[in-house]
Amino acid sequence: MRALTWTGVNRLSVEDVPEPQLLNDHDVILRVTRTTTCGSDLHLLSGYIPFMRAGDVIGHEFMGEVVEVGSGVRHRRVGDRVVVASFVSCGNCWYCRHELYSLCDNSNPNPGITEGLWGQSIGGCVGYSHAVGGYAGSHAEYVRVPFADVGSFVVPDGVPDDRALFASDAASTAFTGVDLGGVQPGDTVAVWGAGAVGQMVARISALVGAERVFVVDRLPERLEQARTHAGAETIDYSTTDVAAELRERTGGRGPDVCIEAVGMEAHSPGPQGVYDQVKQQLRLQTDRPTAVREAVMACRKSGSVFTLGVFAAMVDKFPLGAVMNKGLTLRGAQVHGPRYIPRLLEWMERGELVTEHLATHVMPLEDAPRGYELFKEKQDGCVRAVFVP
Amino acid sequence: MIGRAAGLTSNAGAALLGRLQHVRLPGVGTASAKDDPATAARRWRAVTVLAEPDRLADLPSPLAALGDRVETRVTPAPGDKGTELAARFRGPATDDDIGRLRQALREAKQLVEVGEVLRMDPRPHGERPDTPGGRLLDGAVAASRREGLL
Ligand SMILES: NC(=O)c1ccc[n+]([C@@H]2O[C@H](COP(=O)([O-])OP(=O)(O)OC[C@H]3O[C@@H](n4cnc5c(N)ncnc54)[C@H](O)[C@@H]3O)[C@@H](O)[C@H]2O)c1
Ligand SMILES: [Zn+2]
Ligand SMILES: [Zn+2]
Repeated sequence: MRALTWTGVNRLSVEDVPEPQLLNDHDVILRVTRTTTCGSDLHLLSGYIPFMRAGDVIGHEFMGEVVEVGSGVRHRRVGDRVVVASFVSCGNCWYCRHELYSLCDNSNPNPGITEGLWGQSIGGCVGYSHAVGGYAGSHAEYVRVPFADVGSFVVPDGVPDDRALFASDAASTAFTGVDLGGVQPGDTVAVWGAGAVGQMVARISALVGAERVFVVDRLPERLEQARTHAGAETIDYSTTDVAAELRERTGGRGPDVCIEAVGMEAHSPGPQGVYDQVKQQLRLQTDRPTAVREAVMACRKSGSVFTLGVFAAMVDKFPLGAVMNKGLTLRGAQVHGPRYIPRLLEWMERGELVTEHLATHVMPLEDAPRGYELFKEKQDGCVRAVFVP
Repeated sequence: MIGRAAGLTSNAGAALLGRLQHVRLPGVGTASAKDDPATAARRWRAVTVLAEPDRLADLPSPLAALGDRVETRVTPAPGDKGTELAARFRGPATDDDIGRLRQALREAKQLVEVGEVLRMDPRPHGERPDTPGGRLLDGAVAASRREGLL
């Protein structure tokens, strides 16, 4: 079959690879109908997550049609049209039973790597490096879905592909941040990053009752989408002092909940940006935490800061004093997909959550390297490139 | 980090992974990273299994396979966490022994909780050129079921 493989830092190619097989009783094989780029892939491509092997098939946000079913699968049938959670979850460990699905104890076959990095290993993720399992990714004609009863969800007939697709990862990630970040009716929420994840945070915050939502980015076409599709107020960080603007617009308090959806390659215009980039390139810090720092400083006293953006290991110059003295709650998580996908699909079916505008570039899988180029460089207004194998 | 190192073999990958858990940055690391190797080898290694203790009355096969050299302990975990399953070697143990024990504990937990051990191969992949960085990562991945802080 054809698949998109990572062949080295910033190099991708579409090649012939063997088809996946059923390996465990709880597996299904999916014929992929839609699969999309995610901001997390950019951290892999550029080599900041050094557990990629040349030849790895990437991609983790996807949907498709079930074509083969393992003997232990109870709820999926050949022909089902499903959207699949990016993280793999067994459904039976303590974490899965507490709906903390990306922390599954049993879905990462390479626990030694992340135990060393973080003190404990987390769950596995499809197509996202050997640190989280080394599963073959979804940018391919077929993909293996382990524990399919837990991680795959039948899409209601009325929900089109380019909507259902984003329940897989972007929207469920956003819901994870909104829910665990503690957004309450009447809250003021600020979101850093207007990619698919940040835009979904803005929209879902409004759906759960946030009264005001701010979105911070510098790309005008993304800020425009955040205003149009999420009803958010926007701030361009390249021309505005974000914390001052938020103070002014929130009666001097600052937002109740600050959600960061930027990640370890955050861009920063000032001297602080140069400092972080140099330290990251010298491997003196692994991540650039620009937006998290800003969120901590902007957040109201006793508010909550949530990092959805992916970080790998160490950051530098972190305002811990502000966290402690202002009584903040600082939290992060990888996406707990199965906890949120059913509700997302309901909202999608009722038309309350639309995502089609995120799929700015829909193209054949053969064009995926070009799709990643557009997505990485944010060219031609690309928010997400979606591949049709 | 791993991708940057050159001229290394897959054995080096396993060794590097072994060292990763002993990295000592100020304030980072684990209790066992500070233990001398003899003390570390004597520690009980434990997984918590979401099941009643009687499900572990008969040792799961991966642990049973290690035989008499290993002693085990089964204790109810506090709260709703299930049952703690701990094991250690009765006598001196090499790094290889401890690696096998880690893998056996992880597989025992998986067997009780989900009924099977996750299989990964064969899996689809493209051409894997034989490079030093690639060999290093292959070694780290091959060792990672037996490595870690457990
Ligand atoms: N936690 C999870 O499970 C999970 C899942 C999916 C994605 N993610 C992460 O979420 C982040 C966003 O993903 P995405 O797909 O939307 O990516 P994306 O690359 O499309 O969007 C990131 C946005 O952040 C903006 N940005 C850069 N620096 C900024 C700054 N200093 N302040 C404000 N905005 C800034 C960029 O202009 C861009 O629009 C990534 O780090 C990704 O790895 C996490
Ligand atoms: Zn993602
Ligand atoms: Zn689990």
